[in-house]
Amino acid sequence: MSAMWAQKYAPKSLDEFVNQKEVVKIFLDWIKRWQPGAKPLLFHGPPGTGKTALVYAYAKEKKLEFVEMNASDFRTRAEIEKVFGQSVQQAPLFAKGKIFLIDEIDGLAGKEDVGGVGAIIEIVKKSMYPIVLIANNPYDPKLRTLRQYCQLVLFRKIHTSDIRKRLAEICKNEKIKVEQEVLEQIAKNSDGDLRSAINDLESICCGKKQITLKDLEVLAARAREADIFSVLGILFKSESVRQAKGAIANLDKDPEELFWWIENNITREFTDPEEIANAFDALSKADLFRRRVISRQNWRLMAYMIDLMTAGIALAKKSTYKKFTKYTYPEILRILGSTKTERKDEKEKLLELSKQLHCSTAKIRKHFLPFFRIAKIKF
Amino acid sequence: MELVWAEKYRPEKLAEIINQEHVVERVKAFVKEKNIPHMLFAGPAGTGKTTVALAIAHELYGKDWRANVLETNASDARGIDVIRTQVKNFARTKAIGDVPFRIIILDEADNLTADAQQALRRTMETFTSVSRFILIGNYLNKIIEPIQSRCAVFRFKSLSENDIRKFIARIVKGEKLKISEDGIKAIIYLSEGDLRKVANLLQASAALGKKITEEIVYEVASRAKPTDVKEMLELTLAGNFEDARKKLQDMLLRQGLSGADIITEIHSQIYSLNLPEDAKIQLIEKCGEYEWRISEGGNELIQLEALLAQFFLFSKKKK
Repeated sequence: MSAMWAQKYAPKSLDEFVNQKEVVKIFLDWIKRWQPGAKPLLFHGPPGTGKTALVYAYAKEKKLEFVEMNASDFRTRAEIEKVFGQSVQQAPLFAKGKIFLIDEIDGLAGKEDVGGVGAIIEIVKKSMYPIVLIANNPYDPKLRTLRQYCQLVLFRKIHTSDIRKRLAEICKNEKIKVEQEVLEQIAKNSDGDLRSAINDLESICCGKKQITLKDLEVLAARAREADIFSVLGILFKSESVRQAKGAIANLDKDPEELFWWIENNITREFTDPEEIANAFDALSKADLFRRRVISRQNWRLMAYMIDLMTAGIALAKKSTYKKFTKYTYPEILRILGSTKTERKDEKEKLLELSKQLHCSTAKIRKHFLPFFRIAKIKF
Repeated sequence: MELVWAEKYRPEKLAEIINQEHVVERVKAFVKEKNIPHMLFAGPAGTGKTTVALAIAHELYGKDWRANVLETNASDARGIDVIRTQVKNFARTKAIGDVPFRIIILDEADNLTADAQQALRRTMETFTSVSRFILIGNYLNKIIEPIQSRCAVFRFKSLSENDIRKFIARIVKGEKLKISEDGIKAIIYLSEGDLRKVANLLQASAALGKKITEEIVYEVASRAKPTDVKEMLELTLAGNFEDARKKLQDMLLRQGLSGADIITEIHSQIYSLNLPEDAKIQLIEKCGEYEWRISEGGNELIQLEALLAQFFLFSKKKK
């Protein structure tokens, strides 16, 4: 079987990145100045915009050994070190040099990956060769430390007209006759994702030498991951239960996180106290259902939590605000993230104190600490 | 760390305990026989429940009491897992020394979930030959009946003014303090019968002045009281909901105050707010509603924010 078109037509050199000049320039500047210990690049942006392809094309052009790994495949610090630790310091066998690509960095930040992020940072520090990291969501709080070691590079969606041009080139090369309108539709449908556009083209062609608009009907619109900001926009501004609930259909966030996004942005959208009170009351009720889901393990109840925190919020307003609202990352998640060690240290001190004073940490907080502050007793 | 007076002046021996005679007398008899039943101590805060439990341990095991006693509290270790693992593992092993059982002191037992109490009941029965439980709590009615029926139940009484005076006198003598009669009266009044609070009030007051007077005691009491709640409500009513929310987040997430304490304070503040009387009664109802939601397991921050938003409603109407 011949290679899939998406691979066959992946860029072979950086010149082919006609529509991504900015990132190519950043990348080349970085690699020119690169020396051991330099900050790695952290690529992020929607799928199919050339993040992997860029590094791959460069390696090919310069005849470098291209080492790619997916961080989601590694569960522990030890595993990462085993696979990467030596390789980043050894000279390549045949090629002139090496370049490393670690994909899905956010995939290793789960609970079990204790020290995973730390291991990546260490590897980055000791590497003799350039390393590029890729994350779907670099603003994941779990990646906070890592982010500070990296230079972030955003890949934007590819312009529809650029996608159409590329599709036309492929058709020409494959000797396929195609109506311009077909390519336009595929390009639009791809929402800036070149890879999916090429895949779509390949699947409707499948051996045919001529395609028309009619052939397009087989293509289902790909379910796109909606980004949180536009979801919040629809949610806050919608006027029906169905629309508000539908807003989160393609959102790839768990309800818990979405909950705090909504909590954080109620007062950014609404200004009227009555609306704000209604909205928080809806969240309060959603929260009760969340609690019931957890304590009774009754997942059916999750549906009510979701309805209340979407539609309940949307219908809290008297009329839709015709303004652009700048939604922001949940402050609560930020505080919880940044004070984690602090709170853990304090809890440990309190637990120690709790042994000495024979009462719970909650009682110490309430009955002892206020007096300690006045008497200037340190604990 | 400097010695905390509440701990320094906690009696070690049963004989040193100056109040709760009805309890102490019976407990002394058990200790003499070196055989105690499972016990349940219930009563208001700071009336000597933990002190009696620890004194029993001291008397039975002497200096090495810690080897034979597991002290745990249900607010830091709530839930069924603690009962199933920590408590069970301790309960099943034999005591060191000549007393044939170990003691498990379970403080704030009224905070244990119902499931955990059920698990506890089994453990109490299974390991009776090698361990005894002393459960401590404020409210008897939050302990399930099967557990109550397996325990000798002791009700601790509120302390009399005379009891508190004796305790103050002990600390005053021990620390060579100077205190005025008004000062003593103020402490008695503010302590609400809680000896832990008496000791803390005295220690903080002594840090502020050479002679403890009524003024100093009241100053300590007012400084020890969180003022953030009042400020938070004032900000909300002045229309500044955002800063009020920030204050709330700070109290809960950084200062580690409990939602229950904050809502109690909000409730007590309502009476003195500059609001029409009908607004106050509406807010009191809301206060009850959200407190109930917290007790149902709701997230403290969300529930308190929702309550705060109800106060925000009245900022508009005031204009």
